[in-house]
Amino acid sequence: MSAAGRAFPRTGAGVVLALFVLAAAAAGQTAAPAPAPAPAKDQKHLGWNGDRTVPVHLLPLRDESDELIVPTETDPRPYSARFTCGPCHDYATVRGGWHFSALTADKSGRPGEPWLLSDPRTGTVLPLSYRAWPGSYDPDALGLTAWDFTLLFGRHLPGGGPAEPSDEEALAHPEARWNVSGKAEANCLACHNRSGRQDHSEWAKQVLRENLRWAATAAGGIGEVGGMASRLKETWDITDGPNLDDHEWAVAPFVTYRTVDFDSKHRYFFDIIYPPADERCLACHSVSPKDAAQWSADADVHTAAGLKCADCHRNDLGHAIVRGYEGEAAETGDRSAGAFTCRGCHLGENAEGEKTVVPGRLGAPYPKHTGIPLVHFKRLSCTVCHSGPKPNEDFTRVRTSRANRLGIYGVATWSTDVPAIVEPVYQKGGDHKIGPNRLVWPAFWGKKSGKTVTPLLPEVVDKIAGDILKPEERLSLTLVALSQALAEDEIPVLVSGKFVFAPNVDGGIDAAEEAGAKADRAVFWGLRAGQEVRPLAPDFDPAAEDKDPEIETRFQSYLQALGTVAGRPGEPAIVIRKTLYRFVDGFLDISEAPAELAGAAGPGWLVEGKLVPLAPDFDVRTVTAKAGTEQTLTEEQVGLVLEALSKMTGDSEAVYISGGRMFHRAKDGTLGAAASPAAAPVVWPLAHDVRPAQQSLGWKGCTDCHSGGSDFFFGRIKGTGPLLTKRIETRSASSFMGLGGLFQRVFGLSFIVRPAFKLVLGIAAFIAGALLVIAGLVALGRFAGFLEKR
Amino acid sequence: MWFTIVTVLVVAAGFVGLAFHRFWTTREEARSTLLYAELAKRFSAWTALRTVQMARRASPRAWWDYLKGLPLWREPLLEKWLSICLYGSFLYLAASGFFFAIFIPRGLFGFPLVAHVMAGGLFAVCLVITVLFKGRDFITVPKPAHLTLTLLDPRKMGITPARVRLWAFWTFALAGFLLTISALLPMLPLLRTPGQKFMFEFHRYSALASLVAAIVFAGLEIFAAGRPGTPAGLGADRS
Repeated sequence: MSAAGRAFPRTGAGVVLALFVLAAAAAGQTAAPAPAPAPAKDQKHLGWNGDRTVPVHLLPLRDESDELIVPTETDPRPYSARFTCGPCHDYATVRGGWHFSALTADKSGRPGEPWLLSDPRTGTVLPLSYRAWPGSYDPDALGLTAWDFTLLFGRHLPGGGPAEPSDEEALAHPEARWNVSGKAEANCLACHNRSGRQDHSEWAKQVLRENLRWAATAAGGIGEVGGMASRLKETWDITDGPNLDDHEWAVAPFVTYRTVDFDSKHRYFFDIIYPPADERCLACHSVSPKDAAQWSADADVHTAAGLKCADCHRNDLGHAIVRGYEGEAAETGDRSAGAFTCRGCHLGENAEGEKTVVPGRLGAPYPKHTGIPLVHFKRLSCTVCHSGPKPNEDFTRVRTSRANRLGIYGVATWSTDVPAIVEPVYQKGGDHKIGPNRLVWPAFWGKKSGKTVTPLLPEVVDKIAGDILKPEERLSLTLVALSQALAEDEIPVLVSGKFVFAPNVDGGIDAAEEAGAKADRAVFWGLRAGQEVRPLAPDFDPAAEDKDPEIETRFQSYLQALGTVAGRPGEPAIVIRKTLYRFVDGFLDISEAPAELAGAAGPGWLVEGKLVPLAPDFDVRTVTAKAGTEQTLTEEQVGLVLEALSKMTGDSEAVYISGGRMFHRAKDGTLGAAASPAAAPVVWPLAHDVRPAQQSLGWKGCTDCHSGGSDFFFGRIKGTGPLLTKRIETRSASSFMGLGGLFQRVFGLSFIVRPAFKLVLGIAAFIAGALLVIAGLVALGRFAGFLEKR
Repeated sequence: MWFTIVTVLVVAAGFVGLAFHRFWTTREEARSTLLYAELAKRFSAWTALRTVQMARRASPRAWWDYLKGLPLWREPLLEKWLSICLYGSFLYLAASGFFFAIFIPRGLFGFPLVAHVMAGGLFAVCLVITVLFKGRDFITVPKPAHLTLTLLDPRKMGITPARVRLWAFWTFALAGFLLTISALLPMLPLLRTPGQKFMFEFHRYSALASLVAAIVFAGLEIFAAGRPGTPAGLGADRS
C-alpha cells in the first residue's frame, strides 16, 4: 500500500474520532445537566435518613454560655435548649416557627385566640396580640413591653417569642429584669418530652417567680429549681451566684439535677417523642364547656379514631405548623398544607374545590353527604356542621387554657371562670364562608378621640381610680381585723340583704347567699359559727342586772381589734341603747352616749362626735349589688372612675367598654351607653372538637337548622362583661352570618310543608311520567302500524 | 358560562326558526328561490324590516290590549285558571331561573328562590292536569316514510307547523317532567354530592328545553291565531 493509501485510513480515523468527540461534547451540552454535587453534611441540618424510630437522645447538657453542665458540680446552671438541642436541630430555624414568631412574622394568617388581659378589679378583658388580628390590640402600642407580656402570659407560652426578646429590645427597656431572670428559650421539651415528668404547672410557677432561664429545666423534670429571681435586686446577675446574705427569702434561683438520669459521662437521657403527644398540645390548647363534668366530655372524633394532634398539624424543622384551615396553602405558600384541611383529607379538594389533593390520608373516610344541597358546600365551612358544640339557645360557655388559665395546679387556684367565652357563633370568615367561632366581649377603660378608642392598662386605671375599685379590700381589712377577736371556729361576717360576706385569703371577700333571707334585710356586722350567724353587737339592755357578763369583755376585744384597721377614719366605738363603749386612755370606757349619738346603734367609727358606719354605704351598696354575680363593677363605680379619668385624658373622652356598649359620662353627669366598634365582640374560628357524623348538624334532617325558631339562626347572644348593668348589646345569631333574619324565618317555616310538597311533586312526576310513557308507546304503536289513528 | 352560551344560542335559534316559519308562510319570495344563500338574504332583509315595524307598533298599551284580547280569558272558569296558573308559574320560573342563572354568579337565592320552588310545585301540578286533559289533542304521528336519502332534505321531511306544534307540546311536557324529577330527587336523601351537581345542571338544561318548546309552541299559536281563517286555541285539530 502506498503512503497516501496508509495515511488515508489514519486521517479518516482521526476525523471520525474528532467527529465522535464533537458529538459527545454536543450531547453533553444538550443533555440534562449533571446533578449538583451533594452538599457537605451540615451538622445543624440533619436530614431524615428514612428511619422511622426516634434516636436515643443521650446528650450532654449545655448552658446558655455553651458550657458543659456537670450535674454534680456546685451551683450548676440550667440547661439551654439552644446549645443542647441546637447542634443537631438548628435553633434559629426552629425559632421562626408559628409558636415563636409572633413578634417577627410578616403574615398573621387566619385570626386565632387572642391573649386576654383580664383584671377583675378594674373590669378589664383586653384582647391582645402581636399579630394583626381584628379586634386585638398590639401590646407594644399599649405600652406593654415583652417583659410585661411574658409575666402576664408566660404561663402558657412555650418560650421564645416575647419571652426571648432580642438584645435590642431588652436594652430598650432597662426596667425589665431580663438580666436577672434570663430569657426563656424556645422550650423543645414543652412539646417533645415523652416523660410523664413534663409539668406545665411547674413551668407556670417558675415563670411567676421570674425564673425564666430555669423554667425549662424545672418543667422538664430534669432538675428541681428553687429560689426566686423576682426577689432579687435588679443588679443581680447569674454570674454572681447564690445570694450569700439571704438563705430564706431572696434566694437566688438554683437547680439540683436528677443525677439518676445522667450516665457516667454526664449525659442526660431525654425521653423524646416525635411527633408530640396530645397532652403536650392540650396543656395550652384545651377547651372545655364551663360546667361540664370531665367524665362526660367526649374527645374529638379524630382522637377517638387514633389520630394525634400532630398527625394533621405537622411541620418540618421550621415549625411552621399547619393550622389546617382552607386557604392556608395559598396564604403561606406551603402547598402541602392543603392536604391537611377537612376537604383535603376527606374529599381530595383544595380550597377552590379542585380535585388536586390526594384524599384519604390516615384513613380519612369519604363523606357521602347524601341529600345535602350544593349550596351548603359553597356557603358553609365543614366545621359548621361538624365542629364544636351544637347550637343552643344560650350558646355554650367554654373555658380555654390561655384565657382561663387552665391546667395549672398547686396550692393556689389558677383557673378562672372569666373571661366569658361562648361558642359556637357562626360568622363569615375571610373566605366568605360561614364558620363557627368562639366569641368574647372586650371590656376595658379607654380614651376616645374621634372614633378611635385607645385602651388604658389596668394599672393606670387602678392608680387613678384609687379606692373606688377597692370596696372589697376595705371590707376585708375590717373583717380580718375583727377575726383577731374571735374564736377559732368563729368567722367575722358582714350581713347585707340575702348575702353574708366573709373574708378570704386573697384579701377580698366571699359572698354566700343565705337561704330564706330577705333582700331588704338591714346591714349588720356579725360572726358565723357553723351555720349560725349572730350579730357582733347584739341588742341588750346595758343597765340590766342579768346581762351577759362576757359581753363587755367581747366588746373590749372587738374595739381593740378594730383599732388595728389601717386607714380607719376615727376611733372604734359601739353604741347599744344610748350606751357608748369605747377606749379611752387604753381602757374600756362605758358611758352614756351623747345626744349626737342618740339614734346610733352598733359598731362604728367616732368621727367628729358622730358615729359613722364601720363600712361606708358605698362599699356595702357596691358589694351587695355584685354579690352572687360574676360582675366586678357597678355603674356607680364606673361613673366615679370615669370622672376621675377625665381629669387625665386631656381632650380625649374617658370611656368604659363592656357588654358590647361604650359607657361615657353624659353632660348631665349621668352614665350614658352607646354602640361602638370598639365594643364589638372579638371572634376567632374554632375547629375542634369535631363531632361524629351522627352528631353533625343535619343528621336528623334539614330542620336541625331550617326551622322557624332554630337556635342556629335565631339564638340570641347577649353582651357579657364585668359591669353589672342591663344596658348590654344583644344580637341574633343570623346577624353574625350576614343573613337576613326574616328570610331565614320564612324559609324555615316553609319546611313545615316541605314533606307535603315533596309528596305532591312525587305524585305529579309519577302521573306525568306515566302519561309520557303512554303517549310514547301510542306514538310508537302508530308508527309501527300496530295502532290505527282514531 | 357554558349554560349561558347554550341558552343564548338555543333561544336565538328558536326565535330565528319561528321567524323563518312566518317568513316562509307569508312571503312569496320565500318560495320563489331554491338557493339557500338567496333565501337567507331575503330572510334577513325581511327580519330587519319586521323588527323595525314591530318596534314602531310596540307600546305598553299595545301589549296590554293584546293580553286582554287573548282567548284565554274567554275559556271556561276552571280552564281559565288552569291556564293562568300554568302560564303564570312557568313565566316566573323561567324569568327567575334564567335571570339568576345567567346574570347572578351566585345563582338563585333568597326570596326569589323560595318563590321559584313554590311556583315549581304549582307548575308541576298544572302540567299534569294539562297533559291529562289536553294531551289527547296532540296524539298524532307522521306518516310512515320510506327510507330514502331524500329524507335528509328538510323540505321533504314533512315538517309541518302542526307536527312542530305537536313535538313542542310533548317536549314541553317531557321537559316539565324532567324539571320536576330534577327538583324532587335532590330533596330526598338519595343523591350524593356528584349526583346533586348533576341534577343541578340537568335541571337547568331541562328548563332550557322547556323554554324553547314553550317559545316555539306559543309562537306557532300566536301566528296561527293571527292568520285569518285559522281557528285558535289548544283544542283545535291541527293534524
